[in-house]
Amino acid sequence: MLERVIRWSRKKSPWILHLNSGACNACDIEVVAALTPRFDVERLGVLLKATPRHADVIVATGPVTRQLKDRIIRIYEQTPDPKFVIAVGACAMSGCVYRGAYNICGGLDQVIPVNVYIPGCPVRPDAILDGVVKLLNTL
Amino acid sequence: MNDEQKIEKLKSMADPAAVAHPAPHRIFVGVEPGKLVALIGRMKAELDQWYVATISGVDKGESYEILYHFGDTSGSITVRTKIPKADPRLPSICGVIPGAVLYERELQDMFGIVVDGIPDPRPMLMPDDWPAGNFPLRKEWKFERPAEVIPGGKK
Amino acid sequence: MKFNIPIGPQHPALKEPISIRLTVEGEVIQDADLRLGYNHRGVEKLAEEKSWIQNIYLTERICGICSHSHSTCFVQGAEKLLEIEPPRRGLYLRYLVSELERIHSHLLWLGVAGHEAGFDTFFMYTWRDREVVMDLLEMISGNRVHYAINTLGGVRRDLDEDLRKKILEGLVVLKKRSEYYFKIGASEPTFVGRLAGVGRLTLQQAKDFCAVGPMARASGLARDIRKDDPYAFYNEVEFDVATADTCDVLGRTVVRIKELFESYKICEQILRKLPDGPVAVKAPRKAKPNEVVSRYEAPRGENIHYIISNGTEKPERLKVRAPTLANYPATIEILKHGFIADIPLIFAAIDPCICCAERSVEMIDARSGEERTLRFSDLRRMANERRRTLPLQRNVAWPF
Repeated sequence: MLERVIRWSRKKSPWILHLNSGACNACDIEVVAALTPRFDVERLGVLLKATPRHADVIVATGPVTRQLKDRIIRIYEQTPDPKFVIAVGACAMSGCVYRGAYNICGGLDQVIPVNVYIPGCPVRPDAILDGVVKLLNTL
Repeated sequence: MNDEQKIEKLKSMADPAAVAHPAPHRIFVGVEPGKLVALIGRMKAELDQWYVATISGVDKGESYEILYHFGDTSGSITVRTKIPKADPRLPSICGVIPGAVLYERELQDMFGIVVDGIPDPRPMLMPDDWPAGNFPLRKEWKFERPAEVIPGGKK
Repeated sequence: MKFNIPIGPQHPALKEPISIRLTVEGEVIQDADLRLGYNHRGVEKLAEEKSWIQNIYLTERICGICSHSHSTCFVQGAEKLLEIEPPRRGLYLRYLVSELERIHSHLLWLGVAGHEAGFDTFFMYTWRDREVVMDLLEMISGNRVHYAINTLGGVRRDLDEDLRKKILEGLVVLKKRSEYYFKIGASEPTFVGRLAGVGRLTLQQAKDFCAVGPMARASGLARDIRKDDPYAFYNEVEFDVATADTCDVLGRTVVRIKELFESYKICEQILRKLPDGPVAVKAPRKAKPNEVVSRYEAPRGENIHYIISNGTEKPERLKVRAPTLANYPATIEILKHGFIADIPLIFAAIDPCICCAERSVEMIDARSGEERTLRFSDLRRMANERRRTLPLQRNVAWPF
């Protein structure tokens, strides 16, 4: 019984952590623009949290630079189970224009396991919402 | 002051054959590395050039060419100097213009040039686990991308 | 007794990671140190392997907020190397998008400044108005960010009469809203009192550390590339350089609001004087060996690109210096002798294209070695409470 309540609350109100791993900021502004009155993601219960220990879903943008690789793994381990990772943007999927650079690991799935990929450069805020909803429907 | 007046003054400070004016508002001056700091000091005092936009380094095969881009209310003056690749040492201009320290640190990271007298010689851009001796912007430095692992997919 | 506080790079809300280490004594910061490199992507090395057209898209993605400024600065230089001149209509359209981008960037910054000062309603209002500009840009170019409207020799899309009228109407709406923000500033003493006196940078310091953009202009230094080194048609357009002489965060806010009004003026002049004709010329593939220095006034300051060509269809060397990097030595100087409580405001006031609103701060007690982790939102709350207990500076004037 308690299990069902917990699963319902996790599905209806996910708390997200926004992680920027060396991106150009375009996807990050679109993630923040999702909170502003036009797209207003907070009416659906999604809260932007400041620390990994409170988050259910990690929303990550950007190609992974070498300096940040260890820190991303540490943040992933600090997030409590069950957790989901969403890779937002073409950079997090495969590196976008920066493929082949010496400081880039090339895509988020080389570092941590990813559940959902959202394409775009940059991603529209409605597409981010769509991706989060698709993830929650699989729960 | 406009371009012609600046060129007159620069010809008196440096070698007149090394002053070039390829386009409106753009002046280029060549100088030896040993006389670099003195020329920049004179430019700051007499031509009011206290603003350094950036310092570029170019790998020209046998030598490095370093360009100091200055700017003011009527255009941009660029001072260029050449140092040999076998002994890449350069004097620092931070005594004259304190704001140039980050650009000189970038030269150290990217090309391996040693800047004498820099107030803060730590590496700036490279990650903590970067192997020493690798200078990315040298022409002969190539990077081999490691093979990509596609999770759950074909190899 | 001195403590060392590292800030960053974990960054939950906005923008790029950066790490600062502060040495504090009580509440006063004695020394600050920056660690860059979290965002180093090796763009200059990549640019040597891509052709001129591919480099337009690469330079666009150096930054997301001022993407058009990097792309335009590169294209200005590349057109000089390829020895082509874009037609008048193409030039006018390119710089119309530039001014619209400046408007969107300053509205974004106003929202961030409001958020850092504790004024979240202001944040929501300005970002709602920013959506008007984003819609206009989407109608012109097809995308909200990364417009990709530049090409070698002009622009890729044209404007029809209908769209021109829509942009003029949008500008009227924005002007009315910006006047409302100006009134808030003049009549909201807590907001003005929070910003006044914070983060002082004197004129001599701004000159020594080579500050650029609104940070330098708020200290009274009237430097603007559009007036000093005018590119394209800026010597035919009437506008003023916005300055303030209070040398603090309040001055920087005032400079950016003034620049919003100047941008509206420039956009209207461009739309009314838009000439007819083609929007692009055909560009050759190879460039003769030459070099060019290209300067451009981005919303954050001066953007400078230095490009060398060697006769092939790829550049030999591309050097980019983004404006926020030039403001770092000045920021370190401001942080010394400041208070911990003012760190979010000072960092937001340089309008960093690398900074963040939420990070966690680790305090390490030097004596016992125990660690205490504070969230940046806690730090901000502490900062706001401390300011509330201080006496309000009643006679701070809105310097307009």
